Amino acid sequence: MTISVTALALLVGSATVITAIAPILLIIFWIRDWLKKRLW
Amino acid sequence: MTNVTLAANTGWLILALFSAIWIALGAYLGRRAVGLEGYMLAGRKVGLALGTATAMATWVTSNTTMAAPQLALQMGVWGMLGYSLGSVGLILFAPLAKRIHALMPAGYTSGDFIRLRYGKTTWRVFLVISLFYGLGWLVSMGMAGGVLVNALTGIDYRIGMSVILAVCVIYTVLGGLRAVIGTDFLQTLIILVGVVILAWLAISEVGFERMHASLLEQRPELLNLLMPAAIMFLFNNLLFGVGEIFHSNVWWSRAFAFRKGVGFRAYLTAGLLWLPIPVVAGFVALTVPSLGINVPSADMVGPLIAAKLLGTGGAILVFIVVFAALASSLDSLLAATSDLILTDIYKGHLRPQATDEELARAARWVVLGLGVVAWLLCLPRLTTLAELLYFTGAFVASTIWPIAAGLYWRKVNPTGATLAMLAGTVIGLSAYFLIGFYVAALVSAAVSMAILLISTWLRPADFNWDTLSNHREKQA
Repeated sequence: MTISVTALALLVGSATVITAIAPILLIIFWIRDWLKKRLW
Repeated sequence: MTNVTLAANTGWLILALFSAIWIALGAYLGRRAVGLEGYMLAGRKVGLALGTATAMATWVTSNTTMAAPQLALQMGVWGMLGYSLGSVGLILFAPLAKRIHALMPAGYTSGDFIRLRYGKTTWRVFLVISLFYGLGWLVSMGMAGGVLVNALTGIDYRIGMSVILAVCVIYTVLGGLRAVIGTDFLQTLIILVGVVILAWLAISEVGFERMHASLLEQRPELLNLLMPAAIMFLFNNLLFGVGEIFHSNVWWSRAFAFRKGVGFRAYLTAGLLWLPIPVVAGFVALTVPSLGINVPSADMVGPLIAAKLLGTGGAILVFIVVFAALASSLDSLLAATSDLILTDIYKGHLRPQATDEELARAARWVVLGLGVVAWLLCLPRLTTLAELLYFTGAFVASTIWPIAAGLYWRKVNPTGATLAMLAGTVIGLSAYFLIGFYVAALVSAAVSMAILLISTWLRPADFNWDTLSNHREKQA
């Protein structure tokens, strides 16, 4: 049973998009915590 | 053949630049690490952003960035998917972190919980397992640092290992957990951006159609969804990851350090964001047949592809990402293992009367001492030592049920917990030698669970949860 090219593209593509979003999300969290003085 | 090695001068420049950044940042953040709680637990007020990033960064080791492509090259699609299931440990720890914070708002280490929940015998068995694992992981990370610096820049193993270890020890000594968590945030961003750049280049340069066609022609087994060895690896890796996270003080100290209400969200978010990283870091190895790269050593496939796609820039990118991944794990291990030594060995066994002030002073010396011990063990470059980590699957998986059940089920008794850890470890190790590495964690967890259930059924206890919150954590 072989993975199709579409499934491979979906798997890798979605993983890459989520990983690309992760730093943006972390920076948003950081700014929000900083504004609320809840960083530390 | 593609050359992955940077000029030693470039390697030194990057090493010096990032070493200076981590030490300066650690020293700056450490200014406010006042008292024992400030130093060991960053004041117990870590927010969601830093909490999520530190969980991610610590779990992204140099293994994730280097071994994920290797596994993809050896086990195909299931290799990288199996690696990504390591995130299940982080996700499952989310409710535990919430429970830990609620039950022990003044706790310091995972050892505290075991001692108060099960008593001294179980505590000592747990400490042996936890310290063995912590030191083994620390030494293997230190060795990985030396090996990778040598492979990527040509700098001598001993010098590279010493520099990386020294940098992590210096900023951890200076700033404690605040320095560790603060640097983890930047290191997470570097790692994430680095792996995405490499993945994006691989996708745009090679494309899925060409990648798939070349694999079908040259390495069809890598696209096979029913590769038995890879499926075994998947389950073993899942349990290994759960065992590593449930027992290790690296994760417990963060549960204590996070602000109230942050633990659950931080670990859940970190687990969900970590899940795709091994796929992104690993799939680039599937471009090997398309790019026609000769891979002399599977563990260097990541740097080889980066150098092929980006030239010198690729080698620099990989080096920076690997340095960030190494530092983010090494500092956490130094801090968490030294916390265990300080609280559970020094105060717990040697100087029970030690005050918080004395412990705060001793904490820095313990980190330094642990760094020196790790350095001495790393010096001989015992590559077989890295294989020791495979054994630890049996050790750490035996702690899953005593910890999880101990946090939620008042009927679990100390004898059952001790026997579960001992028998799980021994039988798990036997399975390792008799069957193979891929069943050690699985057998250990199964045996441990069976013993815990039977002993609880035979002799149910009636543990008082208030014991955990009413104890003296701040007695000194």
